[in-house]
Amino acid sequence: MIVRILSEDQYDLPGKYVDDLNEIDNALVEVVEREDRDEFHRLLKKMLDLVREKGAAVPVDELVESDLVLPDRDLTLEEAEKLFVGEGLLPG
Amino acid sequence: MGMLSRMGIIVKAKMNRIMDSTEDPRETLDYSYEKQMEMLRNVKRGVVEMVTTKRRLELQAAKVRENIGKLDGQARKAVEMGREDLARLALERKQGAIAELEGLDQQVEGLELEQEKLTHAEQRLQAKVQAFRTKKEVIKAQYSAAQAQVRIGAALSGISEEMGDVSLAVERAENKTETLRAKAGAIDELVSTGVLDDPTSGKDSLDHQLEQVSASASVESELAAIRGSLPSAERKSLPEGQS
Repeated sequence: MIVRILSEDQYDLPGKYVDDLNEIDNALVEVVEREDRDEFHRLLKKMLDLVREKGAAVPVDELVESDLVLPDRDLTLEEAEKLFVGEGLLPG
Repeated sequence: MGMLSRMGIIVKAKMNRIMDSTEDPRETLDYSYEKQMEMLRNVKRGVVEMVTTKRRLELQAAKVRENIGKLDGQARKAVEMGREDLARLALERKQGAIAELEGLDQQVEGLELEQEKLTHAEQRLQAKVQAFRTKKEVIKAQYSAAQAQVRIGAALSGISEEMGDVSLAVERAENKTETLRAKAGAIDELVSTGVLDDPTSGKDSLDHQLEQVSASASVESELAAIRGSLPSAERKSLPEGQS
């Protein structure tokens, strides 16, 4: 499975980690709703680290489409909120 | 819907905006390549703008730093002259300047991270564009339009996704740069209207007041000297006259 971390790299991540990613993803949604800033940054980092550590970087001269796209490492809680409400970041 | 599917949608939307497909897939390749070169230029420009804004903020931070030292000196001088009110004023300003400096330092740091990201994006895109160009020439030379359609699918969506990613990065960087540039402009304006003092522009009102205090002190001592040197004076008690 090809996973992209925005403004970073693409990784080839074994399929067995999808559940882990989904779990963190669901937790992130809750955390954003609660506006728990510390937990938000912790989970975001956990999600990105999982991909960086378990995945193999796709060679830079390879052109492949990703199955999953992960946000930028410095995504703010405010940006994540906008992401979920669907305003601002979604190009109209 | 979780964060992952949201991010996917956003990048796809960007991709679709960038890529308008044409009838002949081989034309699409050329069109896409043009777009890639354009985006590469955009990223380069983004990096240059960021560096310029960073320099400007660094210059301002240097000025504020200088100002802090100067206000310190003024406070000392004021205390020596027994003007606690002026010393207080100088120290209050110094506190304001310290807060300002902290803000500026943080902003410069933020821009550094952004610059690092954009530079990385530029290098990646450069490599991807290179790979795409090679692939494009091979496909155009060896395949008919129908065959090319199949061949270019993956390469095209791969590069479009890269461009979607980069254009998001550029947008974010531009927004940040824009905000900081506006702030830098506001600081320049405060300096020029005298709300914030610019130590490089010479004297400010505090300097002026201190000068007045020191001037009136010399007037007093000169007056005393003149009084002392008059014949009617009972004693020649001037420090200078004692030698």
